[in-house]
Amino acid sequence: MAQLSLKNIGKSFDGTDVIRDISLDVEDGELVCLLGPSGSGKSTILRMAGGFETPDRGAILIDGQDVTRIPPEKRPTGMVFQSHALWSHMSVADNIAFGLKLRRMPRREIQEKVAGALELVGLADYGSRRVWQLSGGQQQRVAIARALVLEPKILLLDEPFASLDQHLREHLREELRDIQRRLGITTLFVTHGQDEALALADRIVVLQGGEIEQVASPDQMYRAPETRFVAGFIGSMNFLACDMRGGRSDHAVFQIEASVSDGPVELAIRPEAIVVTPSATSTARVHRTTDYGTHILVDIDLADGTRVKAMCPPATRLATGQPVSLSADRVTVFRGTEKLADVAPVEMREVAHV
Amino acid sequence: MTTLASPDRSIRKGGQAKRHGRGLTGLLLVSAPVMLLGWLIIYPIFNAIGRTLFVKGDAGVRFGFDSYHQFLTDGYSLSNLWLTLWVTAVCAALLMATCLPLALYLRFAKSRVAALVQGLALFPMFVPSVILAYALIRTIGPNGAVDLVLNAVGLPKINSPYLTPWGPIIGLVWDNIPLTTLMLVAGLGGVSDNAVEAARDAGARHFALLRHIILPQIGNAMLVVLSFTVLSIFSAFTLPYVLGPASPEMMGPFMQRTFSQVLDTRMAVTQAVITFIICAGFGAFYVRSIAKNREARR
Ligand SMILES: Nc1ncnc2c1ncn2[C@@H]1O[C@H](COP(=O)(O)OP(=O)(O)OP(=O)(O)O)[C@@H](O)[C@H]1O
Ligand SMILES: [Mg+2]
Repeated sequence: MAQLSLKNIGKSFDGTDVIRDISLDVEDGELVCLLGPSGSGKSTILRMAGGFETPDRGAILIDGQDVTRIPPEKRPTGMVFQSHALWSHMSVADNIAFGLKLRRMPRREIQEKVAGALELVGLADYGSRRVWQLSGGQQQRVAIARALVLEPKILLLDEPFASLDQHLREHLREELRDIQRRLGITTLFVTHGQDEALALADRIVVLQGGEIEQVASPDQMYRAPETRFVAGFIGSMNFLACDMRGGRSDHAVFQIEASVSDGPVELAIRPEAIVVTPSATSTARVHRTTDYGTHILVDIDLADGTRVKAMCPPATRLATGQPVSLSADRVTVFRGTEKLADVAPVEMREVAHV
Repeated sequence: MTTLASPDRSIRKGGQAKRHGRGLTGLLLVSAPVMLLGWLIIYPIFNAIGRTLFVKGDAGVRFGFDSYHQFLTDGYSLSNLWLTLWVTAVCAALLMATCLPLALYLRFAKSRVAALVQGLALFPMFVPSVILAYALIRTIGPNGAVDLVLNAVGLPKINSPYLTPWGPIIGLVWDNIPLTTLMLVAGLGGVSDNAVEAARDAGARHFALLRHIILPQIGNAMLVVLSFTVLSIFSAFTLPYVLGPASPEMMGPFMQRTFSQVLDTRMAVTQAVITFIICAGFGAFYVRSIAKNREARR
């Protein structure tokens, strides 16, 4: 269907750089999630792709065609706004039909398309309702149908599920994923929920302060974060400060070997990478356990006062205050924001080296 | 009016007992203004109507519609009434034509010029009508500033609107621009940016945007504005008095002249009652629009 390219985009509002220099290619039929903390410029990028803001620098291309200066009404993009932005003076069907009517499509055809779009989002019988008679989730689906019915080349969604409850959000997320797959529509999706990004995306773009931190597939993003920020932002992560000397870490619990120059570093360890075993001689003690059913999360106080989270199998039985020993089967070493090495300490083997 | 119909907008029914209690407090709160209204407005209205319907003759008090009959069969009175209605209609149309674009600009423009335009649009509000009237005479009156400029560059004088119906029209439109614009901007505030952007995204250009999205959403606000301006223009006095034609004349000056120069008190009151009835019609329309507006907002 279509391909979207952002080339060295920059945007400032009132003299402050909101987007610094961003380049991104969204491939045909791909779903890319923009993920980042509040104010990182996600909406701004999306609005530039939709034509609601004009970038100060760089170019936006759709299928190789420069659309940077083309207004939204002439762009082959469809946007779903966070606030639904349905038109309350029209019925549900009229909301969806509006764009088709502007295109002077024959009435019969419009009716068919509207019915099809309503069917697609599971609201087949709701065409004659007023917008305000719908629930939040239904309104959101109408907004999605309204964007889809115009068959945009690029679908843009700005936190479309943010105002919904967890259950509905997961449900709509799956529906959206199905529809997007079925239609093969190129999609740029903004969210600040990492679970949403991990569940939906073909690729995730993590943004911070108007710059791209990392672009990767969800599993890569989780398993191989490239920067300190991504490591802390996606999923939960234990960060342990220590010094490297002669290729060895001086941490009391996690001694690793990596060919890293001497100096202070941080060891980043996922909770599920930590193996907890009871050991009477250890100085680390269980602070608290939380049973999530599928796993047990254990907070452990180390001798130096830092607290580590570890994820254990549901059968684990640990008492508060019990001494335990810890080992990690995967550690990433960061210095400042930069990743130095990926280490699997069991084999004491260096995986990557920057 | 509102675009974002969120699920919690449904009306919940509170307990009946609680409602009654609240109703009583409400009644107490409105009782003072209602009493003032009765004393200063309602009573004089009925008093005035009474004075037009009952005449003290030699044979005691007599009931009759003769003063209304007199008004409605008098060609001069009728042409005054028509002139007033016509001026009001033209003013309302011109006001909408000037203020709607202005309000749209103020609502949607993001530039710094918008603040300046807003200031300029509100400026007439701070100029008293009398001063405005004389300023207009000095500029577009006979041998006014415009004529002087035209004369200086060798062009013929303008056909001055002073002492024609266009005199008060120009003055009234100018005088009412700020309030009309403000009310329209307030109405446009109910149209969310996202609703407009979504329409543009669907392919609506300027005109389609205005016609299908913006106007329907501010329809009620426009009715409120319209009835409000009609009310204030219909009963205007100063500008028609100073700038308007002598014959036919607008209702304001007409009443005043009938009262203080012709000294026909009963006729003046009759004219006032007729003016009042027409205004009350618009007033009812105004109240209805506001009520509808509220309903739509819920
Ligand atoms: N129209 C504007 N004028 C001035 N500053 C703006 C404007 N729009 C956005 N900004 C600024 O740009 C920055 C990024 O905004 P943006 O809306 O893109 O953030 P976001 O990543 O979408 O955040 P959120 O998750 O809270 O929606 C913010 O600091 C914001 O203050
Ligand atoms: Mg945003």
